[in-house]
Amino acid sequence: MFEKVLIANRGEIALRVARACRELGIKSVAIYSTADAESAVVRFADEAVHVGPHHPGKSYLHIPNVIGAAQKTGADAIHPGYGFLSEDPFFAEICSDNGITFIGPRPDVMEKVGDKAIARDLMQKAGLPLLPGTIEPVQTADEAQEIGDSIGYPVIIKAVAGGGGRGMNVVRRAEDMERLYKTTRSTAQAVFKDSAVYIERYLDAPRHTEVQLVCDNHGNGVYFFERDCSVQRRHQKLIEEAPSIHLSDDQRRDIGERAVAGALAVGYTGAGTMEFLLDHQGNLSFMEMNARIQVEHPVSEMVTSVDLIQEQIRVAAGEPLSISQSDVILRGHAIECRVNAEDPDRDFAPAAGRLDVYVPPGGPWTRVDSHCYPGWNIAPFYDSLIAKLIVWAPDRLQAIERMDRALSEFQIEGRGVKTTIPFHRRVLANEQFRSGDVTTDFVEHFLAGEQAGAARP
Amino acid sequence: MSDNKDTQATPDRELIESVWAEARDLIKRLEGSTVQRFAVAAGDYKIEIERGSPPVPFQGPGAPDAPPPPPAGPVATGAGPGLSIAPGARMASGVFTLGDMEQDNRVPVLAPLVGTFYSSAQPGAKAFVEVGSNVEPGQAVCIVEAMKMMNEVAAGEGGKVAEILVENGDWVEFEQVLMYLEPADD
Repeated sequence: MFEKVLIANRGEIALRVARACRELGIKSVAIYSTADAESAVVRFADEAVHVGPHHPGKSYLHIPNVIGAAQKTGADAIHPGYGFLSEDPFFAEICSDNGITFIGPRPDVMEKVGDKAIARDLMQKAGLPLLPGTIEPVQTADEAQEIGDSIGYPVIIKAVAGGGGRGMNVVRRAEDMERLYKTTRSTAQAVFKDSAVYIERYLDAPRHTEVQLVCDNHGNGVYFFERDCSVQRRHQKLIEEAPSIHLSDDQRRDIGERAVAGALAVGYTGAGTMEFLLDHQGNLSFMEMNARIQVEHPVSEMVTSVDLIQEQIRVAAGEPLSISQSDVILRGHAIECRVNAEDPDRDFAPAAGRLDVYVPPGGPWTRVDSHCYPGWNIAPFYDSLIAKLIVWAPDRLQAIERMDRALSEFQIEGRGVKTTIPFHRRVLANEQFRSGDVTTDFVEHFLAGEQAGAARP
Repeated sequence: MSDNKDTQATPDRELIESVWAEARDLIKRLEGSTVQRFAVAAGDYKIEIERGSPPVPFQGPGAPDAPPPPPAGPVATGAGPGLSIAPGARMASGVFTLGDMEQDNRVPVLAPLVGTFYSSAQPGAKAFVEVGSNVEPGQAVCIVEAMKMMNEVAAGEGGKVAEILVENGDWVEFEQVLMYLEPADD
């Protein structure tokens, strides 16, 4: 096992990792930018190194300073958290060149799964279901027309090099195909310097369903069931839950087994997530793989009683997983609400500042993962996450009631500070949300409905 | 901040005394200011001081809801308007100034990145500077090595080297004070 782990991150996840290290008997090293000198993880960790000014590019993303901090403190491994350097194969390679273990997959594997086209190809070969469509780039408008007609409309044309919602167009009618094919290609060429596009079936209102897994270096992989993260706004998840109430036990086991088989087939090691879209007929289609621990991992921990960060550290140290698939029992229902320093009444605009009042909720089966304390300053140049509030209950409706109770206890005040708590409470009270019939367009319709309601006399 | 950092080095009396002297000096100089908490650090040693609350200015019912006054000098962190400042090394260095207060006129040379401090260009070679050396603005005073890249650190302004706080081969953090210069009189 490692002696000392450096945490190349900040905020709640840095503290979460430091806590896992403490429980494993591993010394932890925090790194911090000037703005984070008084952060919770700096206080909690065994050591802390100042690595740069507040600009992430000069501190948390500054590879020489991060590596230097690990060498200064004699850390034998680096946990990258999520975001920042967590999915940078170059960084993972530099770690290994310097004799430091990167807690994550091997750089070459990370690179493969990070490329959407390669990942789709590999996962299809490994037996994961994909949306009907092409894997090889489409060469001509005639070919595009043929593919569109055979898949059936609507279809989506996506730039191979695209990302962040850019470089894609939905084609709803056959007669629009040629025009949109040409538009997407020229946009892709202009924006990504690569005109290659592929085509697949478009789902209008799918559910976002993702499978959590951890693989060790001994050929073992375990899945921790799935999460439903359909409550999202502009691809930012707001509420996540586990399990998905839309999968049968057979489906759950089947997709879990396939996800692990796919990960093992590409030599994946560490914690990872396979993202799927679930359509209204109950079909799951592989979208992409995230080669890191995710923000919403606690809901999977709550329903399986497994500390995923500890497993992640264990397998990175070369140890086998401490559990096998049959030890992972799904129990009850967990929900996570992301409490962000954003103003839901002003289009979720950042509303950061100093927290004069910060009183987190407590009570049974209520977990708060947060780096905040009274007096902490939510800085405008990092993400707006104040806290992840997670509750567990025997079933989904009880979890919703518990979450609302916990949100009502959560006190956060400060000059200019607004939070997403009121938004979460309104969603929890919404009939459609309570019924579980939530798709990725839920928030958009929910907000539009609220506006229409407010406009009525 | 609870200080649970490892201090594996044998106690360095001189260093502790210099940190303590800086702290005493600062306590005197911060009389009457709004600063409540500060820290002074050098090497592995750090002293943190917290003072009682300053008197709260009276705000009558008609008082405008004004934002707190801006800090009087460049505050080292984003930790809040002029109340808590960390890490301490920078204040002790004179980067932090309060109004028209009498200043320590020594100028710190800060580490531009995390790495290993070298006083000379090569092992065994003559040190770039020693205590008492006169330096020109922009003159290289040491090297901080990170990932086999040698980064020369230049003096921001000219002056005489008053004190060197790190040893050859020491690991240094971002913006750690490496040495102090006394500006030349002009």
